[in-house]
Amino acid sequence: MRPLTELETKTFFEKLAKYIGRNITHLIDRGDETYCFRLHRDRVYYVSESVMRKATSVGRDQLISLGICFGKFTKTGKFRMHVTCLDYIAQYAKHKVWIKPNGEMPFLYGNHVVKAHIGRVTEDTPEHQGVIVYSMTDVPLGFGVTARSTSDTRKMEPTAIVVFHQADIGEYLRQEDTLF
Amino acid sequence: MDVSGVLEAHKQKFKSVSVEGKVIPVEYDLGLLAAYDQNPVDEAELKKNKEEYLHSLSRDNAQLLFNEIFQLQTISDDNGVMAILPAPTTLLPREKPLPKPKPETRWEKFAKAKGIVNRKKERMVYDDATGEYKPRWGYKGINDDGSKDWIIEVPAGANPMEDQYEARREAKKERIERNEKRRQRNMEEAAVATKMDQKAVNKGDRPNMDNARSLKRKEIESQILISKNSTASAGKFDEAIKGDLKPKGIKRQFAPTVTDLSKEKAGNMSILDRVVGKNGEDLVNVRKAIKATKRQ
Repeated sequence: MRPLTELETKTFFEKLAKYIGRNITHLIDRGDETYCFRLHRDRVYYVSESVMRKATSVGRDQLISLGICFGKFTKTGKFRMHVTCLDYIAQYAKHKVWIKPNGEMPFLYGNHVVKAHIGRVTEDTPEHQGVIVYSMTDVPLGFGVTARSTSDTRKMEPTAIVVFHQADIGEYLRQEDTLF
Repeated sequence: MDVSGVLEAHKQKFKSVSVEGKVIPVEYDLGLLAAYDQNPVDEAELKKNKEEYLHSLSRDNAQLLFNEIFQLQTISDDNGVMAILPAPTTLLPREKPLPKPKPETRWEKFAKAKGIVNRKKERMVYDDATGEYKPRWGYKGINDDGSKDWIIEVPAGANPMEDQYEARREAKKERIERNEKRRQRNMEEAAVATKMDQKAVNKGDRPNMDNARSLKRKEIESQILISKNSTASAGKFDEAIKGDLKPKGIKRQFAPTVTDLSKEKAGNMSILDRVVGKNGEDLVNVRKAIKATKRQ
């Protein structure tokens, strides 16, 4: 476990900013307790200071996980977000997509979101923008990246992909052992 | 006719060649055409009339110097009369530091320890066989390897069929090789000795063979590592060789896990500013605004 280097922080924030933009500030600077990002086995954990201090007494090989896993660094140095961070980014999301009940299951099985399943979209979402996917009852289901801007989607066919799947809560079952 | 008055008047026009009033006699280094006046400067006079005083002082000293020069032995030729200057007496500091003593070879060390002194021997020695003087070594020297003998006795216990000329040639070759090895070793040790820090040299430490070898090994290893990194891909796509050197000692440095978190926070904020921009997203969504105005 160690703090992120400057380069790692930059890559991490760049990815995170795609979903929540400047709201990362609220993650760094919280009112209740001091939170920090820590890297452990290529994974970035969002952890409170007290837990982090306690975790220092656990050996590196013994420490499995701590705090909330936000994602992991790939071997090529890119950052990949995990669904475990959904609670936090859903809180501060800038652009959202609501999907109809008939589209929930296909999305939760890891498929992209097609136009026919879209119930509602944040107005004026640009292309390739990170969006949070909600059910119509406002339950966050996962997140993805828009394939087209909102205005472009109007002309598209109902079967065309609108949101590329990135992560969904079905991964809690599908990738139980590697997620945290 | 009495010209003494005229002569006196002429003399009055020039200052006297004798200079008085020097409490400490002026020192000269005629070889360098220099005079050193150690007398204290008259401060009152210097303050009152600086230029004139300095002028007269330097004139007096120059006069004294020339008086000394005129007392020297002179020679006269077509160019005129010239004084023969003595050798300079002033000691000047050396421009460059003293050269370091050359590292001793093993033989020199041994000879010093045993008190062996190299005696000078004559170059030419009498050769009994021919009754002539011949060089001790070198061209037509007396120290030939014995290959010029027209007959060689087979030593006791030796194989009679063995070529004794060949044996002598072999022996000489071996001697040369051994000597060359020693020369190499001396050079290696000398290189180490010059590389050894001055402290060790002052302490009297001697470079040993292991030290020389390890130094050379280190040098070669570092060169190998440099050459491995000097490919187009900086060594990334090179085929790995078993037992090949790996660069050691390159360690990444990380911030400590538990630190002042407020500092870490500030660092994160500055990174965020760079990533998102100081003001974050634009307050006004331009596209949306344009659309709204069009609708109106």
